[in-house]
Amino acid sequence: MKSRLVKLAPAALVTLLGFLSTPAPSFGQEEGGGEGAGGESGDGAEGDEAKVDDDADAKWYAIVGGDVYTGTGSVLRGATILSKNGVIDAIGYDLVLPEGTETLDASGYRVYPGLVAMGATNRITQGLFGVGLENPAEEEELDPHFGIDDDPATRSSHVDVGGSPAAEAAQADDSQEDTEKKVEKSEVEDSYDPFSEFMIYALASGITCAEQQNAAVKLKRREIEGIFLREKFLTPISYSLRSPASIRSTKEKFDKAAKYLRELRAWQDKGEKSAKEPSKKGVDTSALKVLEGEVLARFNAGDREELLAIGRLAQTYGFRPVIFGCQEGWTVADELGRAGAFAVITPRDREMKDEVFLRAGGTSIENASKLHRAGVQVAIVPQNASFDLSGLSGRDLFNLPLEAGFAIRGGLSEAAALQAITIVPARLLGVDHRVGTLEVGKDMDAVVCDGDVLHYQTFVQYAVVAGKLQYDKEKEIFFAHIRPRPEKPVLDPGEELTEEPAPPTPDPEEEKEGEEPPKEEEGGEDEEEKKGE
Amino acid sequence: MLLNLIVTGVLAAFPTRASGDLLAIRVGRAETIAQGTIEHAVVLVEDGKIVLVGEDLPIARGIPVLDRPEWVVMPGLVNCYSRAGLDSVAGADFEPEILASKEVYPPQDIYRAILEAGVTTLGLYPAGSGVPGQAVAVRPRGADIEEMQLADRVYLKIFLMANQNSKRMLREAFEKLGEYDEKVKKAREKWEKDQEKNKKKSSKSESETEKKETEKKESEEKSKEAPSEAPKQDEDKEKGKEGAGFVPPEPEPKVKPFVELRDKKLSALIRLSKAADWLHLLEVIKDQDFRFALRLPLRSDIDFYEVAPAIGEKKLSVVMDPYITLQPNTRRDRNIPAEMAAAGAKVVLIPRRDSEEGHRSWIKDVGELVRFGLDRQVALAAVTQEAANVLGLGERLGSIAPGRDANLVFWNGDPFEPGTRVQAVMLEGEFVFEEVTR
Repeated sequence: MKSRLVKLAPAALVTLLGFLSTPAPSFGQEEGGGEGAGGESGDGAEGDEAKVDDDADAKWYAIVGGDVYTGTGSVLRGATILSKNGVIDAIGYDLVLPEGTETLDASGYRVYPGLVAMGATNRITQGLFGVGLENPAEEEELDPHFGIDDDPATRSSHVDVGGSPAAEAAQADDSQEDTEKKVEKSEVEDSYDPFSEFMIYALASGITCAEQQNAAVKLKRREIEGIFLREKFLTPISYSLRSPASIRSTKEKFDKAAKYLRELRAWQDKGEKSAKEPSKKGVDTSALKVLEGEVLARFNAGDREELLAIGRLAQTYGFRPVIFGCQEGWTVADELGRAGAFAVITPRDREMKDEVFLRAGGTSIENASKLHRAGVQVAIVPQNASFDLSGLSGRDLFNLPLEAGFAIRGGLSEAAALQAITIVPARLLGVDHRVGTLEVGKDMDAVVCDGDVLHYQTFVQYAVVAGKLQYDKEKEIFFAHIRPRPEKPVLDPGEELTEEPAPPTPDPEEEKEGEEPPKEEEGGEDEEEKKGE
Repeated sequence: MLLNLIVTGVLAAFPTRASGDLLAIRVGRAETIAQGTIEHAVVLVEDGKIVLVGEDLPIARGIPVLDRPEWVVMPGLVNCYSRAGLDSVAGADFEPEILASKEVYPPQDIYRAILEAGVTTLGLYPAGSGVPGQAVAVRPRGADIEEMQLADRVYLKIFLMANQNSKRMLREAFEKLGEYDEKVKKAREKWEKDQEKNKKKSSKSESETEKKETEKKESEEKSKEAPSEAPKQDEDKEKGKEGAGFVPPEPEPKVKPFVELRDKKLSALIRLSKAADWLHLLEVIKDQDFRFALRLPLRSDIDFYEVAPAIGEKKLSVVMDPYITLQPNTRRDRNIPAEMAAAGAKVVLIPRRDSEEGHRSWIKDVGELVRFGLDRQVALAAVTQEAANVLGLGERLGSIAPGRDANLVFWNGDPFEPGTRVQAVMLEGEFVFEEVTR
């Protein structure tokens, strides 16, 4: 009987939630991540298997009663999110929670999609001891018992290796060559440290997914399974006005790739098997992948002229450029919008205008809002994509939401600012089918905040990754003592706050609370009835 | 009382034994490990072995007695993870076939100093990260390696870090083991076919006569094969149950240690650097079944306490340094050895430094952990019995019990107490150091 009830439940949910659940994302660009959605990944396969399995084995997790900011523009007040095996199964009201569902009471709190940190240092997932110790002889000396390690070499682990774009680009270039080799596992996956305390900092900042060495990983603690999402989705392209050679070679590459694609299509249209298939020889694989939409092209540019040139290039060959920096983007926002560009910016960047020119230039607090208005998808990164403990309103990942808050100050809408640190970076990493918003079918990666996530006062109270509680502020040594969570009055169903020296006239909110419990009781009766059947 | 009777009985049984071989040592206290602490203990040593140990045993007339009521005796210390006296260096290579025993150079002062510090057994491991080779167990005394060596190939050292190269090395080793198994399987199939062919042939040839004597034929076949397989008969015996006469092909030298690991003839000591490495190790070894101990170097800001429950659940031996560490990015003390012990792991402690001084202050450093909550008996076993177990010599060393090697170290008080000194060291029944004589 029980199993029958459990089987009934999801079906009931679907019908119940048909209109309640949030609409599909209205952003029309499926090109970025949409095509990537087909890409297989370990987790997805697991999910499928679980579906085949009996529902009895499923792990249910629910965040109950919070104001759900789905990240798609809609807000569901006091709603519940239910996940099955780490994937969101339903969002809505009066959900029937299957037996054994683990619940997290989020009433009075706001629930947001987990934030996505672009270009984060690999210190987060490799921990204190992840970097350094390159020289095995040195390590050997450290190892036996030559004392607690005070060696400056190991302390260099604090130096961020993956942080600089140049290093990343170099890494990506290296990896470019052996994409054909099909490495069994991602390097990030093999060096993941789920006990890293930087993981705690990241989750405390609301980040549940980070880009490390051009790979998107989930921040899971105490386990290394299912952390890898996707890698090498951003392909660095060098295109700088200061280096004409780079322009020439990049154009050549795209020319060849475009020509090859034209020939390939012509050959496919003919359908003659006798004709020879056009040769891939001499065609740059990364340019080809960019044109085929398999990956996104990444540029580093800030100057107006360079931005224009990139926009032009992108429109010529028909792809969507991702521009890191983009400081003067606000001066050429229309052009970038036409090119369908993505911009990865830091609202608090400061750069003076070049006084040689009369035209507008330099950085502007309005950069994000102007780009967004022109149709450019804006992702926001802090100045230093690491955790450096240098002050509360620092410019590191501790304050990723705060950085987005500065974009709001410059005129960006709150919804767009949230998207700039959730779904847009997810698209840039090719993982927007898994993370970035709270929608049915996506991963249950959510943060529960005690206020607006973009407000400086707000603390992340809980972080849930893949349907599992990964962070509880009250239990973290670094955060529990700062503004401790107030205890909530515990009410039994039907009980009222009578003994409390409360104000004589009960608040409307309290009345609501009083009303809710009977509802739950009704639900319980329903269950019993069903059991009876 | 009963015990006393037995003692006198035993002693009476060997009245004619040369008194030079027999020695009774009466001390204030014995930390026996196996039987815990015994006050007013008597230890009877004969032919380099411990014969008896007990409280206030009456000593038969004629047996020489060393009477030291102010002394405390414990088993000789065992350092299972050392490179004392070895000076080679190596990189992160895959060289499981290398033996540390080939590297030992016995006439060195450090061995004498270590022995005088009360350390009667050393496990010397080969240098290098990666998979650097196999360790040897030695007594720190002797003119050449034969005299020093207790046992060779005591464990295979594996150095696993959470990075692709390190993990790949181990993955490939297991892949090669799989390939070897395939090879063995094929060889076996071929061998079985050949067997059948031979049978048919012989039966055909003799079908004209009669088919009654099949048993004889089989025995003939066996005798035919026997000479070709003579050199590997030892292995035949082991593989006897699977099929008499079949000899598996010899594995490559680099694969052989892993075959032995799989067959439980060798154990591994796997060195990790941080808690996450444990998860990566599990991910690499998957369902490979072999015996292994862990080496967890403790340093400040180390997070091994995160995996203590998981390691404790498997009841693994864990080789650690006697340090109180700090929780990363905090000033919070963690007694990881105590946490490991509480979780069920078998704690093994080694000196903080692999030098003379390190060995001398070793027991005091362990005492510091006891002061901060490590169980005293666990701490004593961690430097004796558990360390001997890692070397596979747990039946022979590490405890004061009948039948064990008479490796004893005598102190002038509680060994964990600061200020307590080694008074004498006995190695296999022979006093090799006495404070008084100096």
